[in-house]
Amino acid sequence: MDLLEPTRQAFALLLSGDPRLLQAIWLSLWVSVGAIALVAAPSVALGFLLAKKQFPGQRAAVVLVQALLSFPTVVIGLVIYLLLSRRGPLGSLDLLFTPWAIMIGYMVIAFPILVVFTLSAVQGADPRVYETARSLGAGRSRASLTTLWEVRFGILAAVVNGFGRAVSEVGCAIMVGGNIEGLTRNIPTAIALETTKGEFSQGIALGFVLMVVALGVNILLALLQGRGGLR
Amino acid sequence: MSAPLITLHGARKAFGARVVLEIERLSVEDGGAYVLVGPNGSGKTTLMRILAGLDRDADGEMDFRGERAAFASYPERLRRAIVYVHQHPYLFHTSLRHNLEYGLKRRGLPAAERARRVEEAIAWAGLEPRRATPPEKLSGGEKQRAALARARALEPELLLLDEPTSSLDREGRAQTLALLAQLRDERRTVIVACHDQEIIALPGFTRLRLEDGRIALQSG
Repeated sequence: MDLLEPTRQAFALLLSGDPRLLQAIWLSLWVSVGAIALVAAPSVALGFLLAKKQFPGQRAAVVLVQALLSFPTVVIGLVIYLLLSRRGPLGSLDLLFTPWAIMIGYMVIAFPILVVFTLSAVQGADPRVYETARSLGAGRSRASLTTLWEVRFGILAAVVNGFGRAVSEVGCAIMVGGNIEGLTRNIPTAIALETTKGEFSQGIALGFVLMVVALGVNILLALLQGRGGLR
Repeated sequence: MSAPLITLHGARKAFGARVVLEIERLSVEDGGAYVLVGPNGSGKTTLMRILAGLDRDADGEMDFRGERAAFASYPERLRRAIVYVHQHPYLFHTSLRHNLEYGLKRRGLPAAERARRVEEAIAWAGLEPRRATPPEKLSGGEKQRAALARARALEPELLLLDEPTSSLDREGRAQTLALLAQLRDERRTVIVACHDQEIIALPGFTRLRLEDGRIALQSG
């Protein structure tokens, strides 16, 4: 197969500002950013609690969240589909085949990543952080926030990984979004569709954008870690 | 003799059947300087942590200025009065200024007062040339001095220092010793757990000797 010609066409498409392409890119970005913005705070809080607090069932909770990491995204998509479908318990919300349904899916997919990364970062934190904060007069909440601040690059890595997983996810997005052009078609679902149609130039162009986004956020993370001292 | 700042009653800590600390009664005078000596495992750090409320899994009580409290239900108020500095102190990964200001903010001091105390702390610890240096780039001695200054700036009623010279070179030790002598001269109530003979020999420090978790000797 000649790869040069579709690649040339792909860059021509990108440079021409093709509206279908731009719409898919925009949808991918805002839905992914929105999902991470909504799920980050509760996930980080849960990761912190699982790392620091001892309670009955704590180990089981950790195992469950870790198991969620390896859940197939199409299964997550299927569950959300059933919940949001017209006859489902949340059918009245009329969210199926809308960007909001994809956002819910992304939140569910990013949730265990954020929790497990936070858990790992907090468990790896120097125990003197919390004790020092407490001994300097901080209350429990403030000392917890100080601990999170000290492992902020680990938390940031959690957010970046969660975003990376969401922005590149395809199975769940197709199931609950329906891959409707102009409404729910995003970068990964468009790549999947265009490739099956033999439209490689679109797929290559969108794949290039996806890689640039992934590379960009990771470069940003590396820069921030470098400034704060990679630990 | 001054009134006791703290009196411990029946302080006891055990890991299973192994008792690591058992002190029937111990008084610390207001404004007194103490060195807590004893072999490794004699319970020095355990006693310091119990006093600081960092180890609440201990039996016993203490009177703090006449107010009785069990170690297991360490009152938050005492955290503002008693400050503990680890053997290897932790400085937050922010700026030196932020480190020095941390506890002052927790006490709700106004910005002008915080700024004054931070400047005073930097000068006291001799860290003026290092004020812009990230804490993680400070030497061991500088970190120890910064941690001492951070604790002293809070004007605690009791300062607990755990082996403050244990990992320092000769110069770092000399500078830390000078700061300890200053704390004594300022009539701060301070307990220093140590092996360092130079600290033990500092005049004006009352020696408390711990052996197998028990006070074996108290001498002025």
